[in-house]
Amino acid sequence: MAAKRVIVIGGGVAGMQAAVALKKQGVTPMLIERDITLGGKLCRWDRLFPSGTRAGEVVSPLVEAISETGIRTVLCGEVSEIVGDDSRVEVMLTDGSSYEAEAAIIATGFDLFDASLKEEYGYGIYPNVVTSVDLEEMFRSGAVVRADGSEPRSVAILHCVGSRDRQAGCGHCSRVCCITGVKQAIELKQLYPGCNVYNFYMDMRMFGSGYEELYKEAQERYRVNFIRGRISECSGTMDSRVLVKAEDTLAGRPLRLTVDMTVLLVGKQAPASNAKFASELGICVSSDGFFKGADCFDGATLTSRRNIFVAGTATGPKNVGESMNEAVAAAIKAAEYVKGLA
Amino acid sequence: MVNLYFEPFIIPFIVGVVVLFSVMWTKFISWISALPQSDRRMMRSGIFSVATVVGALWEAFRECLLHLKIGRVNGRLWYMHTSLAFGWFLLIAFGKAEAILYLKTPVVPIYVDVFFRKYFPFAHVGAFGFIMDALLLFVLSGLVAAVVKRFRPSVYGMRRTTDHTLGDKLALSALWCIFPLRLLAESFNSAIYDSGSFLTGSLGALWALLLPSRSLPYINEVLWWCYSVSLGLFFVSVPISRYLHIFAEIPLIFLRSFKVRASVRATTFTKLQRAACSRCGICIDPCQLSAEGISLDTQSVYLLRDERAKGATLAKADSCLMCGRCQSVCPVGIELDVIRTSVRHDRRKATSSFDYGYLDTVHVPLATSKVGFFSGCMGRLTPSVAASMRAIAIRSGVDIWFIDEAEGICCGRPQRMAGNLDAADRMRERNEELFVESGIDTLVTSCPICLRTFREDYHLNGIRLLHHSQFIAELMEQGRLDVERGAASFAYHDPCELGRGLGIYDEPRVVLGNIGRLEEVARSRDKALCCGGSLAHLGLDMAQRDRIAAGVCAEFEATGADFIVTSCPMCKKSLSRSTETRVIDIAEAVKMAVGVEEA
Repeated sequence: MAAKRVIVIGGGVAGMQAAVALKKQGVTPMLIERDITLGGKLCRWDRLFPSGTRAGEVVSPLVEAISETGIRTVLCGEVSEIVGDDSRVEVMLTDGSSYEAEAAIIATGFDLFDASLKEEYGYGIYPNVVTSVDLEEMFRSGAVVRADGSEPRSVAILHCVGSRDRQAGCGHCSRVCCITGVKQAIELKQLYPGCNVYNFYMDMRMFGSGYEELYKEAQERYRVNFIRGRISECSGTMDSRVLVKAEDTLAGRPLRLTVDMTVLLVGKQAPASNAKFASELGICVSSDGFFKGADCFDGATLTSRRNIFVAGTATGPKNVGESMNEAVAAAIKAAEYVKGLA
Repeated sequence: MVNLYFEPFIIPFIVGVVVLFSVMWTKFISWISALPQSDRRMMRSGIFSVATVVGALWEAFRECLLHLKIGRVNGRLWYMHTSLAFGWFLLIAFGKAEAILYLKTPVVPIYVDVFFRKYFPFAHVGAFGFIMDALLLFVLSGLVAAVVKRFRPSVYGMRRTTDHTLGDKLALSALWCIFPLRLLAESFNSAIYDSGSFLTGSLGALWALLLPSRSLPYINEVLWWCYSVSLGLFFVSVPISRYLHIFAEIPLIFLRSFKVRASVRATTFTKLQRAACSRCGICIDPCQLSAEGISLDTQSVYLLRDERAKGATLAKADSCLMCGRCQSVCPVGIELDVIRTSVRHDRRKATSSFDYGYLDTVHVPLATSKVGFFSGCMGRLTPSVAASMRAIAIRSGVDIWFIDEAEGICCGRPQRMAGNLDAADRMRERNEELFVESGIDTLVTSCPICLRTFREDYHLNGIRLLHHSQFIAELMEQGRLDVERGAASFAYHDPCELGRGLGIYDEPRVVLGNIGRLEEVARSRDKALCCGGSLAHLGLDMAQRDRIAAGVCAEFEATGADFIVTSCPMCKKSLSRSTETRVIDIAEAVKMAVGVEEA
C-alpha cells in the first residue's frame, strides 16, 4: 500500500509544525510555502512575548526538522486553486504545477492590517508613524531610530489598529496586540531608559500565562504609561514629530501629546483568498473571514470536508504557542483520517 | 327672478364643493396668518411685483397643469399626470365657455356647466360637442394610465409606487369613478336625445340599440346621480388625501416665488409644503436605502405622509442619508431635507447634556496669510488631503494658512442634521468669531459638508468661501499651477453636499481634465450616488453602509479608470473600504500630477 500523503499549505510555524507531526505519525507530508524561505511572519519578528525568546529559536528547529526528516517542500509556491472531492485533494499553483494527496491541512495564516487605511493615523504620510512590524524589524536590526536617525525620547503605542474597529471593516479582536504592545514598550524602555512610552488602549486583554505579570512589570518597573482611550488622529509637526490627539476616557478629558514616534499595533486580518478557497472546497469561513472549524471544541481543526483540516491563525488570531499546538492537533486528526482509508 | 337651475341630483356635488372650499379656505388662512413675521414681509413685497406674480402664475401653469418637471424625469408618468390634470382643467374651462355661450350670460352657476348635457341635452354650440368628447377621451386615457401604474409600476420604469392611506384610497376610488360615470351619463343622455359627438354619441347609439328605450331615462337619472356623488365624494376626501396637493401647490409656488423658504425650525410654510406633496412616489426609486432594501418606508413621501397624518416617528426621520437625490427629482420642489431636519429637531426633544463650554477655550493663532484652509473633522481623518494642499500651495507660490492645524471646532453640520440645532448654533457662533477675528479674506475647505454649512448658515463678513477644487481650478486658470496632462484616467465621484448641495460640478472636472483623462460613471452630477458614509443617517450599521458603497464602487470599476477621485473626505473614507481601485482626493490627484514632493 502506498504511503498516505497530506499536503500542508503554508510554511509558517503552524504549517511546519503540522508537517513534522504528520511525519512522526507515519504519514507523508508535503509542504507548500509561497515565500522563498520557511518561517512565515515570524521571520520578521525579533523577540516573542511573554518570555523574550528570540523568534529564530522557535523557527530554526522547525526548519531543521523539516530538512532532516526529508519532508518535501515547495518554496515560492503560490496556490491558485484547491480542488478535489471526498477522497483526494489537488492543489494547483500559479506556475501551473499541481500536487495531489489524500488530505490537506490549510495553515495559510493571516494578513496584517494595512495601516494606511486608517489614514487619520498618518501611516505613510508622516515619517515617524510606524507599525508594530516595522518596530520589530528595527529591534532585529538593532537600530530603533526615527526617520532622521535620531533616538526617540517619547513614543506613543496605539493598540487596536485594525482590530475591534468596524469602521475599518475588522470587528474582531486580534488577541496578541495587547501583549505585543506591552512587550514592545518594555523593550523600548530597556533600550532607552529615559524614553517616555505611552500605550493608548481600549481594554488590556491579558489572557495568557505570564501576560498580566508582564503588564504589571511594564507599569511598575518600567514606568510605561497606559492611557485608556483611542487616538483620534495624528498629525505631523514642523520638526517631524507626531502630534497625537486622544481622549483619556478614565480622566474624561481630551488629551494632546507630541511624541517623537508613534507605533501602530496592526491587527490580524483574514486573507482575501480564504473566501475563495472556502468556496472552492465547500468549507466555511466565519463572519471575520477566518476559516471556521467544525465546532469550537474537539472539531476546531476539522471542516465540513472530511479530508480538509485547518490549523494556526488560518482559523483566527492566535499566539505562536497556540498555533503550534493546533498544528499538532490537526496533524493527528489528518493522520487518523488517512490511515483509516482503505 | 334669477334661474337657479336647481335639481335634486346636484346636492352631493354642491355639498362636496362647499365642504372642500370651506376646509381649504380655513387651511389657507391658518397657514398664512401663522407665518413668521419675516416671511409675511417677504410675501407683502412679492405680491406687488408684477414680474414675480406673472412668473409664479406661469410656473403654476407649467407644473400644476402641464407637469413639465415630471416630463423631464419620466415621459410615461408625465402623460398620466398631464392628461388627468390638464385634461380635467380643459374640460372645466371649455364646459364653462360652452355654458356661457349657450346661455348668453357671463354668470352661470358652477353645477350648470358641470352637468351641462343633463340640463341642455339639445344644446349645440359650434364644435364644443366634439371638443368636450375629445377632452373626455384624453382624461380617460390618463385614467387608464393611472390604473396601470397602480398595479404595474414597472410599466413606468418604477420599481415601487407609493403605499396609500385610507383617505387616499377613498379619494382614489372616487376619482377613478368620476370620468367613466361622466362618459356613461352623457352617453345615455345621447341615447335618449340622439345627440352627442363621436364618443358619447356613438356610445349612446349603442345603448339605444341594445337596451329597451323605456329603461334609458331611469338609467340616465341614476348615472347622473352617481356622477354627482362621485364628484362630491372626491371633493370631500380631498383634504384628507394626497389630492390636497392640487390646492396646496399653487400657494406654495407663489410663496416660493416671494422667496419664502422652509426652516429647520418648522413654520406653517412647512405644513403647506407637506400638503403640496402629491405622493407621486417619484422620490422612492432614487433612494439608495430603498434600492438596497435597507428601509422601504422612510422615504420622503412617507415622512411627509406620516407627518401630515399624525406626526412621523423620530426613527423614521432619522433613517435617511439626506443625499438629496429625492429632492432633486421632486416635481413639486419640496425642501425635503430641511423638512426632515425640522422633524428631527421637533422630535428630538431632549437636548444633549454635553457641555459645550470648551468651545470658548479653543483659540486659533493669527493668520499668516489671507487665504485660510480648513480641514474640518473628516479632513483631519484624511491628512493626505491637507498634505497635498500644502504641496500644491508651495508649488504654486501661494501662501496658505492652515486654520485648524492645531485645533478647530466642528462646523456643526452633524449636530444640525441630527436636529440638535442649539448645539449646531453654538459651534457656528464660535467658528464665526474665530474666522472673522483671524483676518483671512478667503476660506478654502476640502470638506463639502463644512463648505455647505459655511455658505448656507454662517455669517462671515464677506469672507470668500471656496471648495479646494475651486481653489485649485483658479490656480490653474491663473497660470500659477503648471500642469501637464498625464496618462492616468480618473473617474470622478460627485459628493452629495458639493454637487446637489452646492451645485459645484464643473470645477473638479476642469481640474481632472487638466491633469489626465476624465471618465464619467453611469450616474453622475445631480444623479450621482451617495457613498453611504453620510453623517445624516443615524442608524445605519457598517455592513449596510458598505453595501451602499459597494454598489457605488461597482459603477466606478465599470469605467476601468485608474483612480476613483472624489473631493470629500467622507466619500474617500467610505469608498476606499469597498473597492480595490485606489480612491484619492482631487488634491492628491493634482499633487501626483505635478509631481511635488511632500512639503
